Amino acid sequence: MVRFEAVSFGYEGKQTIYDVTFQINQGDFAAIIGANGAGKTTISKLTNGILKPTSGRVLVKGKDTKTTKTSELARTIGFLFQNPDRQICQTTIRDEIMFGLKCVLKDNHEIEERINQTLETFGFDGSRDPFSMSRGERQRIALASVLATRPEILVLDEPTTGLDYRECMQIMELVQELNRQGTTVMMVTHDMELVNDFASRVLVVGGGRLLADGDKTSVFRNAEVLKAASLMPPQISALAQRLGEPFEGIHHVDEMADRIQCLKEGASL
Amino acid sequence: MKGLLNYVEGNSVLHRMNPLSKLIIALLISVSCFLCKGHLFLLGVILVNLALAAVGGIFNRALGLLKTLIKLSIVLFLLQVFFIRDGNILLRLPLNIYITDMGLSFSLLLVLRLMGATMPLTLMLSLTQMNDLSNVMVEKLGIPYKYVFVLITAIRFIPVFMNDMQAIMEAQTARGVEFDTRNIFKKIGLILPLCVPLLVSSVKRIEYGALSAELRGFHHRKKNSGYKQYGFKVQDIGGLALFTLLLVASVFL
Repeated sequence: MVRFEAVSFGYEGKQTIYDVTFQINQGDFAAIIGANGAGKTTISKLTNGILKPTSGRVLVKGKDTKTTKTSELARTIGFLFQNPDRQICQTTIRDEIMFGLKCVLKDNHEIEERINQTLETFGFDGSRDPFSMSRGERQRIALASVLATRPEILVLDEPTTGLDYRECMQIMELVQELNRQGTTVMMVTHDMELVNDFASRVLVVGGGRLLADGDKTSVFRNAEVLKAASLMPPQISALAQRLGEPFEGIHHVDEMADRIQCLKEGASL
Repeated sequence: MKGLLNYVEGNSVLHRMNPLSKLIIALLISVSCFLCKGHLFLLGVILVNLALAAVGGIFNRALGLLKTLIKLSIVLFLLQVFFIRDGNILLRLPLNIYITDMGLSFSLLLVLRLMGATMPLTLMLSLTQMNDLSNVMVEKLGIPYKYVFVLITAIRFIPVFMNDMQAIMEAQTARGVEFDTRNIFKKIGLILPLCVPLLVSSVKRIEYGALSAELRGFHHRKKNSGYKQYGFKVQDIGGLALFTLLLVASVFL
């Protein structure tokens, strides 16, 4: 779906991304992790052509981002920014969702239908003013207007910054459900617990380079890479690693409890 | 255009000068641009501006600024040159439009003035820390801090708003708004709805700014509250004298 081929990127003479190559496949839930300033957001902006690579190329469903307009790529890629206030520009929720839809759809009947559907899914009152709502609600409105366009690929740039646990879960569970239905998700974050709970694949970025790319278990076990990227594995994964082989590949508290239960039963037999 | 007003670190004579004398020199240059009537004199002033930038180590920035101004000047020049109908006709165009020698001379003078007078203030802001400028205005000119703060904040917010606008445009392009179109009229039409998010974020930012200023004792700041002393040295007096001469020359040449 998304392919980076030896991508480098520099801004005003300062190189920020060096020779990054990877491919996100359909249905992936990939997390891009790294410390602040590592180049995560730059990578996410390279995917939909807001930034164009200085060398190498980025392909989205076979289309080169250098030759395709970002506004055209918007039909395939939905992008949720960290700050919803940059996205919201209408004075009612209904108009806001409509604004996004009108950019990618022509059929008025279809637009109307999708707005109603989206309002229902999110439980919004369409006549409310987004600017008077809480930060978490505004993030949900931004997400709603992105999802209304039904993108095949969803790019999330630190989608849960500044949200409380409940708001965070509301957003992430929705994204997870979409992923189950086939949407490809690319999530930029430094919240390791979030990565642990939702992502299946992890890409580690540090100093503008791709340091690791693989499934959760193998990446979290790679202490060297995590150290180079100034990251700590999630507590539960770290604990599982320290406990050794019987606890291999555990990323959730539930799994840990199950495994302990299993081992206990095994021992008592 | 980005970062045009940001301070550039350095230790040149211009950096070490008193902020007030820099401000006065910038104003002297601007005023002399408007007083003089000679094209060559204005060209000279533009060169002086570039020379000053070179001394301050921001020659490239000055060149960039000049390029932007030249682009703007071309538009202005074209607008102006067709509207002056006095003087000898040099070129006749259809629809009773013509270009006269007076029109040409006046339009050229206008754009040269624009270039010569805009540069010094921008360059001065690149070579002076905002804090120094506001302190010296309070300390030496006795302007109440409240008013200085308004001025400084307005200048400081320009690049902030530009960044905000950039980010908003990125966010909207990502949604499918065609900002990447080549059609400039279409682009202008698309920008209008974006004033809403910009306005909302600006009002919020200003409110936070006011709140934090008040928390740090904004109202207690007086003429003698500053820690740094801003004295006048040889270079200040020399510079002021030199550019006063320029002003005098602009009237008589």
